[in-house]
Amino acid sequence: MIMKKLPARVESLHELLTFIRAEAKKLGFSESAIGRIELVAEEALVNVFVHGYAGEQGQVEVHCLVSDDPALTVEVHDTGVAFNPLSLADPDVQSDLTKRKIGGMGVFFIRKMTDRVAYRREGNRNILSMTFLNR
Amino acid sequence: MEIVVANESDVAVFAITGRLDAVSVPQLEEKLSQWFEQPGKKLIFDLEGLDYISSAGLRVFLTTAKKMKAREGKLCMARLRDNVKDVFTISGFIALIPAFDTLGAAKDAVK
Repeated sequence: MIMKKLPARVESLHELLTFIRAEAKKLGFSESAIGRIELVAEEALVNVFVHGYAGEQGQVEVHCLVSDDPALTVEVHDTGVAFNPLSLADPDVQSDLTKRKIGGMGVFFIRKMTDRVAYRREGNRNILSMTFLNR
Repeated sequence: MEIVVANESDVAVFAITGRLDAVSVPQLEEKLSQWFEQPGKKLIFDLEGLDYISSAGLRVFLTTAKKMKAREGKLCMARLRDNVKDVFTISGFIALIPAFDTLGAAKDAVK
């Protein structure tokens, strides 16, 4: 397992995504698969940046775990308020322009573009675990 | 990310290249809010050079589509790459903003 810890703010996004991209590349994921991994990771990280610490400063950790699957598991850890993003309802992706809302789209991408996703609370930590199989 | 705005008669073309993510979105919002100060009614997003879009980028597209509808204008997109098109398809946004394979077809559509 390797890990990167940075302040939970948008200025950290590119460094964290570069870190994840490098791990995915080492495992031989295709460019299009890496693009989806980056998208999912951005959505998970931005949730922490925006909501995780309710305006206060905090840290975010990205853990990359490799298994025999072959798969990459990306975990996003924060010590903000306990919150399970997977508890949010999916947006209505069929609604027309007038009724369409943006809320929940990030979590929708996380659900749709991962092979496995799970949330757990360990002590004072929120941990969102997202697994991508290398097909 | 880079944005080049070209005006051809009454059509504005926003050519967006690079990554449209939570970091770069404010740049696009600023360019768009300047444009919305004018009374223009025809807007095209040329996405030939767009490598990546996240929900932060989609949020700006949705806001723009709603504003264009409010002013009875026409908005469309041209030349989406496959990975960008996937994001629009999964989110259902592909049904909200017309997308065309060529810039010419997009220009015809807003005429």
